[in-house]
Amino acid sequence: MKKDNLTRWMFLLGAVVMVTLPGQALAGEVYKLGLSLAITGPTSDAGNPYAKGVEDYFKYVNDTKMLGDDTIDCTIRDDQYKNDITKQNFEDFLDQGIVFYLNYSTGSTLALKKDFEEVKMPVIPASFHAGNLVDSNYIFLPIASYSDQAIGLAEYIVTNHKGGMPKVALFIHPSAFGRGPVEDLQKAVSAGLALEIVEVVEHGKDLDNTAMLKRLMSKGVQYVISQTVQSPVATMLKDADSLGLVAKSFGEEGKVTFLGCHYTGGNDLVALAGAAAENFYWTTSYIVTNEPSPGATAQLELAKRYNRDEKAANSHNYANGMMVAQVATEVIRRAKAKGKEINNVTLYEELQEMNGDNAYSPGTTVGPVTYSKTDHTGVDSLQLYVVKDGAFRSAGTPFIPKYTGKK
Amino acid sequence: MSYFFQLVVSGIVVGSIYALSALGFVLIYKSSRVLNIAHGQFIASGAFITYALTVWANIPIYISFPASMLATFFLAMSVERVFLRRLIGEPIISVIMVTIGLMSILDGLIYLTPFGAENFSFPPFLPTTPIGFAGVSISWTQLVGVVTTFSLIACFTWFFKKSTVGISMRAVSDDQLAAMSIGISVPRVFGLAWAMAGLSAAAAGGVIGNITGLNFDTLHAFGIVVFPVVILGGLDSILGAVVAGIIMGLIQQFASGYLDGHWGLSGTGEVMPYIVLLVILLFKPHGLFGIHEIERV
Repeated sequence: MKKDNLTRWMFLLGAVVMVTLPGQALAGEVYKLGLSLAITGPTSDAGNPYAKGVEDYFKYVNDTKMLGDDTIDCTIRDDQYKNDITKQNFEDFLDQGIVFYLNYSTGSTLALKKDFEEVKMPVIPASFHAGNLVDSNYIFLPIASYSDQAIGLAEYIVTNHKGGMPKVALFIHPSAFGRGPVEDLQKAVSAGLALEIVEVVEHGKDLDNTAMLKRLMSKGVQYVISQTVQSPVATMLKDADSLGLVAKSFGEEGKVTFLGCHYTGGNDLVALAGAAAENFYWTTSYIVTNEPSPGATAQLELAKRYNRDEKAANSHNYANGMMVAQVATEVIRRAKAKGKEINNVTLYEELQEMNGDNAYSPGTTVGPVTYSKTDHTGVDSLQLYVVKDGAFRSAGTPFIPKYTGKK
Repeated sequence: MSYFFQLVVSGIVVGSIYALSALGFVLIYKSSRVLNIAHGQFIASGAFITYALTVWANIPIYISFPASMLATFFLAMSVERVFLRRLIGEPIISVIMVTIGLMSILDGLIYLTPFGAENFSFPPFLPTTPIGFAGVSISWTQLVGVVTTFSLIACFTWFFKKSTVGISMRAVSDDQLAAMSIGISVPRVFGLAWAMAGLSAAAAGGVIGNITGLNFDTLHAFGIVVFPVVILGGLDSILGAVVAGIIMGLIQQFASGYLDGHWGLSGTGEVMPYIVLLVILLFKPHGLFGIHEIERV
């Protein structure tokens, strides 16, 4: 009787194995990725479309079988912009067996830097803080750092300014995120970039910038470069607009030309500042959907395919999220094509080989993504945009700043 | 010299908006001795309701602004009725903990709407050219903010001093047991205090939102930003909120106006109000106008 039971069980087990194994082989591999970011809480206005960009692109990869039968399973978790929750999320992702990690804020990227080193996990954050790369082997910036962006803006000022040496003020967020570019810009000035940094203003929750703007005017400031988020820039622009200080053309005499790095601009700035955003100059490495391009079409089609609203579809942070998902997918595709096992080590190798003929053009950026062992900054090119009639339009062609110290 | 006067004007503008934002704290504390930690969320809610009525329902802002104040009046009253009414008589710390929970609930609810993660701005409805005099300028947005603030504060002051309901609210604030013994409904007074705090929060939200644009983080942060104002003025004094608001506004503007950019200093406008607050509290621990209660045992 016992022997009969055993035989029956063995037969059943065999049947189960026969049925499931070929099924699994057909289903292909599942590559686990993780993204922790602020979907709620501070900066969620950027985090929300970013998360949608990542989610939609990975859905697209799976739906169109871009990786054959293999699929990407990216867990997206809200960390409310809190470093402790980010750390907890990252540890959970490690337990899930992720092969690639996408992070978000400057604070959490700096805080988890040692963790990334310890587990040898390639990471692309949404923070472009140059300090992320210091003493780090595994962090890769998707585009030019905030420092490079500020230097790029400063170079544009120097090139296009008429008259003597341009006087510049920096308007920055009171954090590592905001302060990051200050020292690098000062170094560029010491290295020969011909402008004078008159003052560095760390903003707070300001309701009125009139006095600050008048002080800057009294010091002869002609340009203000902002490295912060949209809301304080919008308040400053409104105040400047009501005082009639905003230059109508670049470098207009007796007026101030306002410029800003990636997270100061985009459609959200226009939404907050309204008409006061007119003639604001902004730099980023991403394309904008106001201007037709293959990347813009791909972005809008992706958003439409997954029923995103107009606001998300046209957000540069949707492009931002989409682009990091494109890079992660591309390294998986390349590793797979070489017959490598997909894990954190092989993907790290693939990222570092993404240069020269192997550079990757995702279309969502104004230049190719290039990484190497010594260069962990993805897109070096920047595009300058200016608000005209309520929309960001290209001003000139993409350029690579010269004073960034990169060869 | 015009720079000095510009700082004075800016300080009064910012300070009066602080006072308006702080009013809600004072109204609730004055009647129930509860510090409403979720006040910033009411400020944001008021601003978003105004926007929704103005832009989505196409109601002129002159109507949608008071309508949102009314809506937030009832929202705050409902919140008090549902969450806080049953805590009457419980330790104050329990009630404060409930307001912390309330803050999370309101945060969560707002994050479910487009306002949680998107930015908006009110359609322009005021002249864009500022009013200028002798080198000092003030924008129409700021001027309307100041006028709204002082009008509301005048109304509240009249209400508390002259109206029967206001006097009964003060009676509850002074001594709940004695107020009950003469027939005043303490729960009704608490509800009304919350409702009026909601109304003032909506006004503050509208004014701040018109200046900064509608960003949830920025708006609800004002619930915390005005803490020093409330503490300095004395938690239970409307006059204290006004005076402290203006003092804080002036300190902030003078600090950033005269200290920032010199000796390598920056961001002093954010720090100086707290330093001054600490110094004043050393000498006046109950704030400038707070009631110093003496218990005889």
